[in-house]
Amino acid sequence: MRQLLLTLFFSLNFFGNPQEISLELTNPTLKQVINIIESQSEYKFAYGSNVTLSSKFSGKYIYQNQSLEKILKGLSDRTPYSFAILGNNIAITPDTKGEEDPMPQASVQQATVRGTVTDQNGNPLPSVTILEKGTNNGVLTDFDGNFSIEVASNESVLVLTYVGMRTVEQVVDTNTTIDIQMAEDAQSLDEVMVVGYGTQRKKTITSAITNIDAEEFNKGNINNVAQLLQGKVAGLSISRAGGNPNGDFNIRLRGLSTLGSGTQPLVVVDGQVGADLNSIDPNDIKSIDVLKDASSAAIYGTRGSAGVIIVTTKKGRPGISTMNYNGSVSIENGVRFTEHMSADEYRNLIGNLGTGTDFGGNTDWYDEITRTAISHQQNLSFSGGNDNTTYNASLNYRNNKGIAITTGFEQLNGRFHLTHRALENKLVFNVQLISTTRESDLGYESAFQYATIYNPTSPVYALNPEQDLAGGGGYFEVSAQDYSNPVAVLKQNTNNLKLKRLNFTGSVEYEIIDGLKILTRYARQSTSTFGTTFSPKTAWYSGFSRNGYSTKSDDEGITQLYENVLSYDGNISDLDISAVAGYSYQDFIYNGFNADGGNFVTDLSAEDFSTAQDFQNGLGTIGSYKNGSRLVAFFGRVGLNYNDYAFFSASLRREGSTQFGPENKWGYFPAVSSGLDFSKIFNIPSFNLLKVRGSFGITGALPPSSGLSQLTYNGRGNYLINGTWTTTYGPNQNGNPELKWERKSEYDFGVDFAAFESRLNGTIDYYTRKTSDLIFNVTVPSPPALFNRAWRNVGDLKSSGIELALSYKVLEGNDFNWTTSGNFSHNKTELSRLDPSAGSYIGESNLGSPGQNATLLTRTYAGGEVGTFFQSVYRGVDENGKFLFDDGEGNAVLATETNYKTAIGNGLPKFELGWTNTFFYKRFDLNIFLRGSFGHDLINTQRAFFENPSVASVYNVVNTKYYNPNLNDAQLFSSYYVENGDFVKLDNATLGYNFIISGENNSIKSLRAFISGNNLFTITGYTGADPEVRYSDNGNILAPGIDRRSSWVLTRSFTLGINISL
Amino acid sequence: MKNIVFKSLFLGGLLCLIFSCTNLDEDPYLFDKVTGKEFGKTKLEINSAVAAAYSNLSGYATGSPMQLNEVTTDEMVVPTRGPDWGDGGHWVRLKEHTYAADDPAPEGGWNFCYSGITTCNRLIANLTEIDTDLSLSFLPEIKTLRAIYYYWLLDWYGNVPLSIDFADTEPPTNATRQEIYNFVESELLTNAPLLKKPTTIPDIATYGRVNFYTAQACLAKLYLNAEIYTGKAEWDNAISASNEIINSSIYELAPNYVDNFVETNQNSKEFIWAIPYDEVKFRGFGWPTMTLSQLSQATFNMSVKPNNGFATTLDHYNSYIDPNQNPGPQNTVVGLDPLGIPITGTDDKRMRANFLVGPQFSSDGERLKDSGADADDPDGTPITFTPYINELEPSAWRQSGGRISKWQYYLGMTSNLNNDFAVFRYADILLIKAEAMARKNGDWNDASVLDIVNQIRTQHGGVAPFTSLTPITFLAERGREMFAETWRRQDMIRFGTYNDSYLFHEKDPDNHVNIFPIPATQLNANKNLEQNPGY
Repeated sequence: MRQLLLTLFFSLNFFGNPQEISLELTNPTLKQVINIIESQSEYKFAYGSNVTLSSKFSGKYIYQNQSLEKILKGLSDRTPYSFAILGNNIAITPDTKGEEDPMPQASVQQATVRGTVTDQNGNPLPSVTILEKGTNNGVLTDFDGNFSIEVASNESVLVLTYVGMRTVEQVVDTNTTIDIQMAEDAQSLDEVMVVGYGTQRKKTITSAITNIDAEEFNKGNINNVAQLLQGKVAGLSISRAGGNPNGDFNIRLRGLSTLGSGTQPLVVVDGQVGADLNSIDPNDIKSIDVLKDASSAAIYGTRGSAGVIIVTTKKGRPGISTMNYNGSVSIENGVRFTEHMSADEYRNLIGNLGTGTDFGGNTDWYDEITRTAISHQQNLSFSGGNDNTTYNASLNYRNNKGIAITTGFEQLNGRFHLTHRALENKLVFNVQLISTTRESDLGYESAFQYATIYNPTSPVYALNPEQDLAGGGGYFEVSAQDYSNPVAVLKQNTNNLKLKRLNFTGSVEYEIIDGLKILTRYARQSTSTFGTTFSPKTAWYSGFSRNGYSTKSDDEGITQLYENVLSYDGNISDLDISAVAGYSYQDFIYNGFNADGGNFVTDLSAEDFSTAQDFQNGLGTIGSYKNGSRLVAFFGRVGLNYNDYAFFSASLRREGSTQFGPENKWGYFPAVSSGLDFSKIFNIPSFNLLKVRGSFGITGALPPSSGLSQLTYNGRGNYLINGTWTTTYGPNQNGNPELKWERKSEYDFGVDFAAFESRLNGTIDYYTRKTSDLIFNVTVPSPPALFNRAWRNVGDLKSSGIELALSYKVLEGNDFNWTTSGNFSHNKTELSRLDPSAGSYIGESNLGSPGQNATLLTRTYAGGEVGTFFQSVYRGVDENGKFLFDDGEGNAVLATETNYKTAIGNGLPKFELGWTNTFFYKRFDLNIFLRGSFGHDLINTQRAFFENPSVASVYNVVNTKYYNPNLNDAQLFSSYYVENGDFVKLDNATLGYNFIISGENNSIKSLRAFISGNNLFTITGYTGADPEVRYSDNGNILAPGIDRRSSWVLTRSFTLGINISL
Repeated sequence: MKNIVFKSLFLGGLLCLIFSCTNLDEDPYLFDKVTGKEFGKTKLEINSAVAAAYSNLSGYATGSPMQLNEVTTDEMVVPTRGPDWGDGGHWVRLKEHTYAADDPAPEGGWNFCYSGITTCNRLIANLTEIDTDLSLSFLPEIKTLRAIYYYWLLDWYGNVPLSIDFADTEPPTNATRQEIYNFVESELLTNAPLLKKPTTIPDIATYGRVNFYTAQACLAKLYLNAEIYTGKAEWDNAISASNEIINSSIYELAPNYVDNFVETNQNSKEFIWAIPYDEVKFRGFGWPTMTLSQLSQATFNMSVKPNNGFATTLDHYNSYIDPNQNPGPQNTVVGLDPLGIPITGTDDKRMRANFLVGPQFSSDGERLKDSGADADDPDGTPITFTPYINELEPSAWRQSGGRISKWQYYLGMTSNLNNDFAVFRYADILLIKAEAMARKNGDWNDASVLDIVNQIRTQHGGVAPFTSLTPITFLAERGREMFAETWRRQDMIRFGTYNDSYLFHEKDPDNHVNIFPIPATQLNANKNLEQNPGY
């Protein structure tokens, strides 16, 4: 702010500084030149993203007590840059290639051009450098982004440069008023990235960190913060199978790196460690930084093993008062279903088999349970402020309908952020309040399972009382195992969840001496959910048998954070030093209450639990819990930057948790990293960045819940003691006082490069890591253990991977711009060691009932890859339709004659791709984003259960391309039901238009409209509804790749939206 | 000046925090649990702790213990009904004696026993440490209960680890079957005299818990099968352990067989040790859902949909009604064949108690209809439970199989019966004594043997007394009386028929299947363990 006022003051003093400067430099870099001139004068340099500070100039530059003008003239002549004094600034612009610098003397001015420069959101940009191309004639924009410049002719071209923005060239033509919008340049090397407890310029980063700005976020029908990043960051996998609007996304960084509590990355929102990713509305996010390697995450120690996602919200800016409105409407439809027989096909089949029942109807159950879902979202935000106080407030409303009838949610999110500065800006207060309420109709996922298998000849509604099994519901029902009319399931039964989340953050920072700051932060997040399900007496699905049945659960989680951070930024000649030291205290409390009961007097008053007579006869149940934990940490980091080409950073966190045994509570998490920019040391043609970096770090992971190290007792039912029912008390688990930190140590080697004036940008990372003392719930010998499972530190995971991100500005013209960028990642993880006490393998998951209990699907062996399916090998069917399996010696034998099982697939992808193309044409922009995962297998459980004519006696039959009408055997699992899950999806295509707002005093600063399509096509050979990677099975991370029957189907949506800035 | 104030404030605050908040004691965060060392101070707490030794029993009557002992035999079957009950083939494997180490039932039985044993070990250590008169008074009871758990292990797996010290955390090795036998015998003999000795039945103070006669009953079982376990017969000991119970004169045969199995059966004078199941307080007795048809919900106004699984076999059913096997009153309609034709035969009250067969009705008297009935099932849509089962797998008809209804069903039942389950029942003890006497003397037609058998037969079955007995007819009679009470497997092994060919079971190539495999999960976790031979 002060800088801005100075600029304004001195701009009155045009060309009026007679200062003399001396410099003597050999083969200097631009930065060295800038440093020397800035240190001897009042001038500050201004330049855009097209200027490379590390550019090296050959030869000797010797000036003794020369005027600044003369020196700049000399530099302009001898270097590929032009230097011009504008007010108190010196503007640097690169010379245009192949053009002689004509340096015409400022001759007769022929035209005066006025205008306003704004950013994409319509916010005015002060201090933008505007030069008439090929001259030294230039001005800076004022506080409100306004400028006025006299130019030589209609052919003159204005060149606008601003840090962090893409350079704009604008032909004057016959205009006297030109309003110019500048777009952010995401690839700028001066871009500031948020790292643990601080910020760093992109070029000084020595570890694997990716920054994604709002501009690069996924667009369209976005309702979850994770969606913004899906496919955008090499190594960050984000997946959600099917289009359940209430479904959670699975986030996995660099594959599986921990078996501990956090396989999902730690989230930090504006310094609030451990905040919920969805406490922020997607509209309110300015940028997201992903800390990928252990060295960058180690400052967060304990919960950094799965990486760290740092979210930075939008903030107010002094003097710029804006109001933004975003609104959009989406329509969504189901597009991929599990193929099953139509009514006629089914009739034909049961006719041939002599089994099953034809009820005479003709029902497409998917059609009956789905709809075209229309959703909308509205966002209103205000920001502004003065020199002392800035604010940003926003209100977000989302009304999201699911394609399954009766499902969806309504969400209101409000945020208020205030910054106040005092004591000459030395004291800075920050306050942020975020509040979210969300009411969800979750529906029942099993409706999708039933829609696949419900007899297609059944009518939706009962035709006679015999078909209305629940007496009065009116729906057609048949009594069979795990089988209900899917329309009735969704329409008769409710499943609601109300969520309330409150985030408070307050911080105060004081600059003790120049560069030395101390910050204290307190944050509190409370999330409470209240769930209610109700099934009336007339609902066959569940209420009928309980004479009306309801459950209620109230859960709350409160996390508190208290931190003190001391930071220092300074330099010793060419060595920039930044250091951080701090203390962190976190406290977690979880508590809840739940009850369920049935036998209501009447369905009409089901919200009055006291009328559920189950509570009188003891059949109702109630429960409650409360537990928590505490984390205490000390941390520090030192970062060194020598002359912008050699970088070094080291950090250490010492952290303690209540969740470990007395001797193992504390852990150390160190990290070091360094990098060298070769483009600044050697003169490498075309490259303006070639940074080679390496890092090492250790991060940790906690057990999933508290109390696991101790032998704890809780209530465990009743027994008769002396004729009296007595509540029994006994251990609920094996205690493990040896339980200690899981530790991940990771090496990361990376190359960051930028070439051809940053037209080509790229990053390559290779990492290799070992996670030791894995925390997992493994089978233990019982006896002697009380229970046959225990939380132990059981072994090591080893993995390595490659990540590549490339971005290229294919075309950079006045009217047409095209940027293409892509990322690629590969990861391989194996369980390299398993403690003998945990046996030779861990992790199994069951295919499940009905009919396939005791069918174990996955097994991870010591030395084997994580995520391996372990089961029988399909070898066809014999002439009687009986399954033939491999017997392990290559023979195909009857399934009953062999017990041979082996690895038959793996649920984790070998590599993943994301590819974005962005086009700008005049005021149009088009963004096309493709995403793919390759090498993962999926267990198609719909097929495993129902692609078998033997189920036709009750269920409809799945008939994908694998359907075998000759099969005449029980459901038996084998590799037959394992499919390759490779896919490429056109995740998103968005076409936007920025309207011209004409007129000098128009109150609308910008107006943009867009249309966007999500999930426009999917290319895959997988026969299930969605080939997306399943990273875990009901939370079991060692059982990926199981496509469960109750999964939602894949959906496609189109969104129409506008953004207005006032 | 201001600067200094702020500086001191911040630095002071920082230092203060650094030195104060490093306490990582976990106990304050465990609001809903207690740590072991704090528990066991009051009488209620001790009772509550002791109760934990028993709470594990909830899984006995219809869980893995029952499955291991019944589905493997000639009296029970879990057919694969199309898409239902295939479950990876493990029910079929139980029936065909091809059970594997990674099948759920052998694993469940192991976990059931050792979960009880380790709890007893822990309680023995805790109660000894608490060291009050009250705490020490429970020790003989807990040691006896532990011996019973070991008895089951001895019977099912034979060579299991003998883990008896809670402080010993080393993964144990197998003991031999003889060593387990010795341990069970000596623990029961040592502790029995220290246990409460009821003087009347029912005895409220020890109901549901082990007492002196429970120990004797377990000894009787141990000695009856001793020849199988150790190669050395112990007929005299079996007889004397049985006599301890019989001569107490506090037990007597229930006037009606079903008195032992009705909802309010806790007053039965036959119960030596019963698990006091309750639909609210002690859940786990799950017959209704395991055996009844989904539509039977309407018959009993149940609060859950049953799963249409377990059934008796036609052969076992016939052993009641076939006049050759079971002489008695004839020409009564006792059921329907698959074509709906009435079947006449011996009318044994135990058949009527043990099975639900024939046409099924709702509680309002409407005939139940299964619109999803198998098209080739001659019964068609109206539901009729037939003892005949068309095939074991893959497509047993949905209605086929006589359903298990020995523990009498009642209106409004849940998936957890209120009926109690007698682990040791007086009729069983009488039969043990009769068998031991017959075997000791090598004479199945000994008058006292016939007397005992006929006493039970006529009173419970209402059928004609036997005039002579053979091992085969004795076993069949034992089967009728003790159906589904978890002893069939050891009875068949003792009579040498377990490995024979019977319905849905071909003759076993060898008899390694007479003990179960040690679970694969335990072998995987404990390298000191050895698998049983043949697996």
